[in-house]
Amino acid sequence: MDEWPDPAVDYMQAIVDTKLILGHRYGQWALAGPSLEDDIGGASASQEEIGHVRQLASRLQAQGRDLEWIHGDRDATEFANAACLDSIDGEWPTYMASTAPADRAAWYLLDAIAIEDLQGMLTKMGEDEYFHLEYHDARLETLAESAPDTIQAALETTLPQALSFIGPATYDEETDPVFTSGFTDRSVAEIREAFIAHYTDLFEGTAVSLDGVDFDAPDPDTWDEARRRVGGGSISEADLRQLRGTENKLFEIN
Amino acid sequence: MSTSHADTGAADTDTRATDSEFIQRRRTEATALESELWDVLDEIPDPHIPVSLVEMAMIYDVTERDGQVTVEMSYPCMGCPAYGFIENDIKSGLRVVDGVAAVDIDVVWDPVWTKDMLTSDVREKMRNSGISL
Repeated sequence: MDEWPDPAVDYMQAIVDTKLILGHRYGQWALAGPSLEDDIGGASASQEEIGHVRQLASRLQAQGRDLEWIHGDRDATEFANAACLDSIDGEWPTYMASTAPADRAAWYLLDAIAIEDLQGMLTKMGEDEYFHLEYHDARLETLAESAPDTIQAALETTLPQALSFIGPATYDEETDPVFTSGFTDRSVAEIREAFIAHYTDLFEGTAVSLDGVDFDAPDPDTWDEARRRVGGGSISEADLRQLRGTENKLFEIN
Repeated sequence: MSTSHADTGAADTDTRATDSEFIQRRRTEATALESELWDVLDEIPDPHIPVSLVEMAMIYDVTERDGQVTVEMSYPCMGCPAYGFIENDIKSGLRVVDGVAAVDIDVVWDPVWTKDMLTSDVREKMRNSGISL
């Protein structure tokens, strides 16, 4: 498939934006972890996400997207990142409950891509993501013991946001335009089921209850297909300046 | 062992203990100029590890047509912080070779780089430098 259909380009753009902001958040929190291992893990994950963005952005460029636009030369409201990454207000447990669902959702969307000439690249990304997701799950399990109320409250916000990033439950094999175009090998509905089942199993038997999570989100009538979210919102102007390196440019030696 | 490819214009290519089978197959098909380019690349060190880019099996192929060189390569780590440095080293190293007009780098992920691409001799060099695999 040399020329991707428009919904597939938007699908990949949302993955790239999520990875770009994930890399940014990991970097921002890489010195804030409760242990040196957490900090090293965060720095490593940041580096890998930015590496993934570098490769995926070149594929989007081949589909007509401008590389500088992809890397941040645009308004904040043009980013299609998972909404749970827009801002992280809280401490380390909130950060974990925000980044983990976004990272897992982004991987599930990538893993569903069926385009043959992307498979080697996706395999390589999967090698990195295996460690991200294992680390997140292990950390969420320990935090479910030490900070269950914070984790539960955060997940009630972030899991529906991650589900909105994946897409509406009504996008099944008949109606999901990315699946019906042949770009993916499973529908949004199937990806959602795997995502929900994973977190249901992960927290089963812990002090964290997911009874308050809206697993039906998003409302398909208000869902923004391009930004893969509902209700607007965006990263901040400060985030944008950091992504663009605006302040760093002040130190450039000409 | 040396294999002559005089009839096809390909270079004499020694089988090197530090080249993986995958790399050896690619180098065997090289022309004389391409073989020279492989040798230049074999002098460029990996920035993190005391072996060359060729020994690291990061260089998948080198082709030259009318002075236009294309280096097909991959990376062990997709988030390699030295990504740009390595590409600069390759371009600056090859551009000065007689017969080279321009150098393109094509980063590929098929086959996916794995540690299995490292020969036992390269592994030994790395172990001697304190790097475990």
